[in-house]
Amino acid sequence: MDPAQIKASLDPEEIRQKLKLKHLQVKTEFHERHKEASKYLKEKGLDLGTIREHSAKLLTAGALAGTMVLSSPTGSLALLPPPHEILEKSRSTSLPAVSRATRLREALKEILPEKVRPLTREEEKYLEQIFIELTGIPARATLEGEHLNTTYGRIGAEQHLRRYPGDINPNHAPESDEYGGDDPDEILKEGMAPGLGAWGYFAPSKEKLTPHLVETEKWYAVVQTLYLPDWNTRVKYLRDWYKYRKVFIVNTENGRAVVAAIADSGPAAWTGKHYGGSPEVMDYLGGPRYKKGPVVLFFVDDPENKIPLGPVEYNEV
Amino acid sequence: MAELEKLVKKNVKDAEARNEIYGLIDEIVHHRVVGCILERLPEHHHKEFLDHVHSRAHDEGILDYVRERVVEDVEEFIKREVYLVGTELLAMFAPKNEELQRPDLH
Repeated sequence: MDPAQIKASLDPEEIRQKLKLKHLQVKTEFHERHKEASKYLKEKGLDLGTIREHSAKLLTAGALAGTMVLSSPTGSLALLPPPHEILEKSRSTSLPAVSRATRLREALKEILPEKVRPLTREEEKYLEQIFIELTGIPARATLEGEHLNTTYGRIGAEQHLRRYPGDINPNHAPESDEYGGDDPDEILKEGMAPGLGAWGYFAPSKEKLTPHLVETEKWYAVVQTLYLPDWNTRVKYLRDWYKYRKVFIVNTENGRAVVAAIADSGPAAWTGKHYGGSPEVMDYLGGPRYKKGPVVLFFVDDPENKIPLGPVEYNEV
Repeated sequence: MAELEKLVKKNVKDAEARNEIYGLIDEIVHHRVVGCILERLPEHHHKEFLDHVHSRAHDEGILDYVRERVVEDVEEFIKREVYLVGTELLAMFAPKNEELQRPDLH
């Protein structure tokens, strides 16, 4: 299908209605073609739709189509030495002395599975210790009882978000002394998202946009709150809890890390991605051509709001 | 699928509505993927497979389970099915032939 053949603009209601019809058609076809399986599901009180909701979606398109299966946690971690030994090993076996970034990359290589998947609690604990020791960031996979469906997944490039009514892409150009200021076009080239983030505008007007909110949009992250198993039952609490929640994102391929604020919900599971990053986040994590890649994403335990958003230059810690 | 994501993001500006649409597409894809596995999996394994999907959806063992019982390359046929669904969904939003014709200029 040539994307150029898509209508220039579509009514959201038209999209919804067409998809609802297709959804009905696909379900009906499934029930007709797999009568016995459907009967079995019905007897057990199961529905494929609800099965989807129960899980982090092994069988979603993105996960499988992208050959990035969410594989099961295994017991292989039991074979690993404790975190301090992993760190010690990377410190002592390389001559001359290696940078923290190299040590982090080596530790990640040792701990993380080959394919992205939900990590075990034990693996997450290892990483928490390694992150605090090497980067100084108190990162937590579970914070105040909240946990994402996966903490090791793929991040994809997002666009700038509209911060206030009337905000336009050129307004997101960094100043010469800010991140990306040496080449603002690199930061602007992703463009502006057509819709608002999950929490709407950052400020009701340009005048009310504080420097803190400017930073929040600049260093924003997208996580799949929509797939949290208890999202529908605890939506009021969770909406507030996740709004601008700080997360620590580490590119597992090169060890680069940022602290970002959650400002949108997504991406859809069928895209094969689990998180999204603002143009600045993606630029820092992987450079101007970085569109998608594996990351670890943990919450930042920062009750006093002392940890700034943006790059974590832990090599200089 | 990336084109489909762009289409939704471009046209559905309300976050809640977007999530609802993501959910519909998720379910469409999920039914089709499970359906294409059931078509290739010998029938006497169906119940076990569905139990497995339901109780251990995170488990990569599901794919190993299918691999052991199906001759075809599992990831390959799932990818094909997903590509097909994506194409079908995008086609729903293409203009009809008459809309593609440019109006006569007099």
